[in-house]
Amino acid sequence: MRLASQPGALNDLIATNNLLDQLGLHTLEVFQKSQDAVIRRQQAEMLELSTPVVKIWDGILVLPLIGTLDSARTQVVMENLLQAIVETESAVAIIDITGVPTVDTLVAQHLLKTVAATRLMGAQCVISGIRPQIAQTMVHLGVAFGDVVTKSSLADALAFAFRQRGILISRGPDRT
Amino acid sequence: MERIPILKLGDVLLVSIQVDMHDRLAMALQDDVTNRVVKDRAKGVLIDISSLEMVDSFIGRMLGGIAKMTRALGAETVVVGMRPAVAITIVELGVALEHIHTALNVDQGLKQLRDLIAAGRDDDGHAQRQS
Repeated sequence: MRLASQPGALNDLIATNNLLDQLGLHTLEVFQKSQDAVIRRQQAEMLELSTPVVKIWDGILVLPLIGTLDSARTQVVMENLLQAIVETESAVAIIDITGVPTVDTLVAQHLLKTVAATRLMGAQCVISGIRPQIAQTMVHLGVAFGDVVTKSSLADALAFAFRQRGILISRGPDRT
Repeated sequence: MERIPILKLGDVLLVSIQVDMHDRLAMALQDDVTNRVVKDRAKGVLIDISSLEMVDSFIGRMLGGIAKMTRALGAETVVVGMRPAVAITIVELGVALEHIHTALNVDQGLKQLRDLIAAGRDDDGHAQRQS
């Protein structure tokens, strides 16, 4: 028990120990903070990347949705879409849900909210890309889109939008 | 007390809300619009809310109320220029504005109103003959 005979050395040892502990804790905290920042940035980027609003024709916007819709994403989607409607003065917005794997009551509610907001802005909203499986699930769940225009494919929705805008498309002379 | 001006454009009344709405002003507007619809025998009302930055459930309900009241008086109402934030707020508040006519701007709103008025006249024959 040499340490016991030297009280000063014991105190030094404890102080060094504390210092090392605090150093370790600090390193860990800094590391965790930087990791958190990376995750947050990536989440924000993913949110931005996953909700592009495409102007496909004069006065027609397409919003291809990919992945599941949660409240946070719906908010971003809605904001982006409404902003784009104002900027491009679009009359028709097509929400394509081909890339949405499942449509449950919550997702449907989020979609309906977006449609309602679009209507309030004075634009019409079409939902496209409803797969047979999704249509079946929706009916089984009792989810109703009400009087919202729905189409099975983006092509159908686009044709509908053209009709709404009074745009006629004709086939040119055969060039083969 | 300040009032929101109501302008007459042919058989259409144009209401442009340029100031922050508060409840008293909203009630006064409701009163003024319905009175003017009757007095000017207007066929349509255009409410421009592009300067309106904040909306609460009362103002939202008031807008819906004006639309219903004018319809009862034989005039259609179109609300134009709603801001994205306002639209989101109204949807989140759950104010039912399902049957309200909306348009992106005054230009398109006026066009839509003319279509609505024309459609309304087609529905009852004697109005059609009168015009």
